[in-house]
Amino acid sequence: MSGANRSPGVADVLIIGAGASGSVAVAKLAEAGFSVVCLEQGGHVDNGEFYGDKPEWELMAQKRWHPNPNVRDLENDYPCETSDSDVNPLMYNAVGGSTILYAAHWQRFMPSDFRVRTLDGVADDWPFTYEDLEPFYDEMDIEMGVSGLGGDPAYPPGKAPPLPPLPIGKIGMKAAEGMNKLGWHWWPGPNAAPSRPYRGRNQCVRRGTCLTGCPERAKASMDHTHWPDALKHGAKLITGARVREITVDGNGMATGAIYIDRSGRERRQMAQVVIVCANGVGTPRLLLMSKSARFPDGLANSSGLAGKNLMMHPYAAVSGSFDEPLESWLGPAGQTIQSMQWYETDASRGFVRGAKWQVMPSGGPLGMRAAYGGKPLDEAWGANLHRSTRKVFGRSFEWGIIAEDLPEETNQVVLDPSLTDSDGLAAPKIVYRNTENTHRMIEFHLARAKEAMAAAGAVSMSVTPLMRDCGWHLMGTARMGTDPQRSVVNEWGQAHDVPNLYIYDGSVFVTSSGFNPTGTICAIALRAVKHLIANRRNQRVAA
Amino acid sequence: MSTAIDGGVRAAFRAIADVLIPAAEGMPAASEVDVHGPVLDRIIGLRPDLAERFFRGIGAIAGLPPETAAVQLNAADPQALAAIGLVASAAYYMQPRVRELIGYPGQEKRPGNPDETPEYVANGMLQQVLDRGPIFKPTPKA
Repeated sequence: MSGANRSPGVADVLIIGAGASGSVAVAKLAEAGFSVVCLEQGGHVDNGEFYGDKPEWELMAQKRWHPNPNVRDLENDYPCETSDSDVNPLMYNAVGGSTILYAAHWQRFMPSDFRVRTLDGVADDWPFTYEDLEPFYDEMDIEMGVSGLGGDPAYPPGKAPPLPPLPIGKIGMKAAEGMNKLGWHWWPGPNAAPSRPYRGRNQCVRRGTCLTGCPERAKASMDHTHWPDALKHGAKLITGARVREITVDGNGMATGAIYIDRSGRERRQMAQVVIVCANGVGTPRLLLMSKSARFPDGLANSSGLAGKNLMMHPYAAVSGSFDEPLESWLGPAGQTIQSMQWYETDASRGFVRGAKWQVMPSGGPLGMRAAYGGKPLDEAWGANLHRSTRKVFGRSFEWGIIAEDLPEETNQVVLDPSLTDSDGLAAPKIVYRNTENTHRMIEFHLARAKEAMAAAGAVSMSVTPLMRDCGWHLMGTARMGTDPQRSVVNEWGQAHDVPNLYIYDGSVFVTSSGFNPTGTICAIALRAVKHLIANRRNQRVAA
Repeated sequence: MSTAIDGGVRAAFRAIADVLIPAAEGMPAASEVDVHGPVLDRIIGLRPDLAERFFRGIGAIAGLPPETAAVQLNAADPQALAAIGLVASAAYYMQPRVRELIGYPGQEKRPGNPDETPEYVANGMLQQVLDRGPIFKPTPKA
């Protein structure tokens, strides 16, 4: 790859998607002097658009700022067909991608996550280890401005986050007291929200509205952490650009992409290298749409695994309410404390792998009403409304459980034969069912979480065995590996079938872990793009 | 079906809102905090997706006593009642008087002091976790 040899209008690198991984890649390549073009189907979001600091917050959280694109129904979203799925995929399409609406739980995977086959005899090992990725975790902590406390005994010794932890509040203290009574692990949760002003971003003021956008310009979303520097270094960002196909030449090398702008015009962007960063649903959708005579089953899909092994992290929860006021609307939301007490495999439990737990606040009074849908009139309304609000509001919190789901080829993203987006492109269809291992895991963890709530002193509890709107974490649909017959890309995100096509997002995950994945998505993207930059002279490109 | 918030719509909404959110348990009724006033227009303006179900429901209960209206709508068109209920409860819980009564300041700013030693460190709670030792499985030797 050499800028001196390329034609005018041909970028060194084209990146599709301006979310977590795409933003890291754009920033590093632009800083290294590459000409970079990024196509993003969404637009820019201004922090003033968020409602977290306004009385209408909860009202707007249920529609305009809902994480489910089928609920938001914006033109820059594409619909997802979910009738054959236990879980709805969640995402946001904009500069910054889903980090606009993520909770900013900034987690690392644990060492065992990269060696599931070796340790547990299921799934596959990753082509690298925790130790290989650790320096990139460290670097991303600094780039994002992570607030947390070093020394967590759930991890090998390592560097502490760059900023002190955010307060855990009354709910975190209450939960921690319960865990200590039981002798169980807990630790202040790491959050990608700065506990003091950091690199142009404001201090997190604990509004607790991370999941609907941060009006404070505090949360580490990629539009703030990476795009200002990327643009300063000359990266070209084209918004409203919905890619319909990655193009290839007669030698099977990627040549760029065709996209549709918001005027409905079809445009072409040529590049020497193409990096797809469109998330675990958008990336396989694009690969499957990019069919050609040379790649009749979709691009980079000789393994047949593009779109397969979708993992979305089933999410269960136990909510507890307490006699005393806990100010449980206060952030971070974000997480206050976390637990990995039941993370590692214990075969005696009847399942393999485990889950991370976290304590999150319970929001305002209107959100609580959502649980009353379908209940009898006098139970949901009338004097009972006031009684239930008084009993629960401000006095409750949730132990949320992120269950590791293992890769299954039957869980997949395919192209829907009839549903399309606003440009007439085939929408993704999600086929996703929880396995017996997952059901057993959730059952076990819910039982333990109820014990934790009881130990904390909860006077009443409610259990959510599986939340349907929980597919924040989209992983596995273009998995990495060393065997081209059993994986789509190698450990550097390079497609086995197309040497100048890369994938950097959560699609490349081999297993899902039980952790929020954005920190790992970014660390993998950082590791891969640094390798690409270091090996630029060996990079094959289209003639 | 009318989609204008005229006096009749406002009156019908006010009546059914008071069935859903009555004066009880020390809390005011919906109409006492004017959920049928300008905030109704604001909510429908911010959430046009609710309009069709809202007006459909209001149209269906014309002339019925409020309690009967709520029961019948819940049975015949629960989606319409849900939209009316969401508009009513959103308007209700947005009101400063209601928020004061339930002790909710809204999603307030309350930054922490990053230089302060956390209570769980100072009182030894976290040390108990550390004393229990590592809980991870290391990377197996190749």
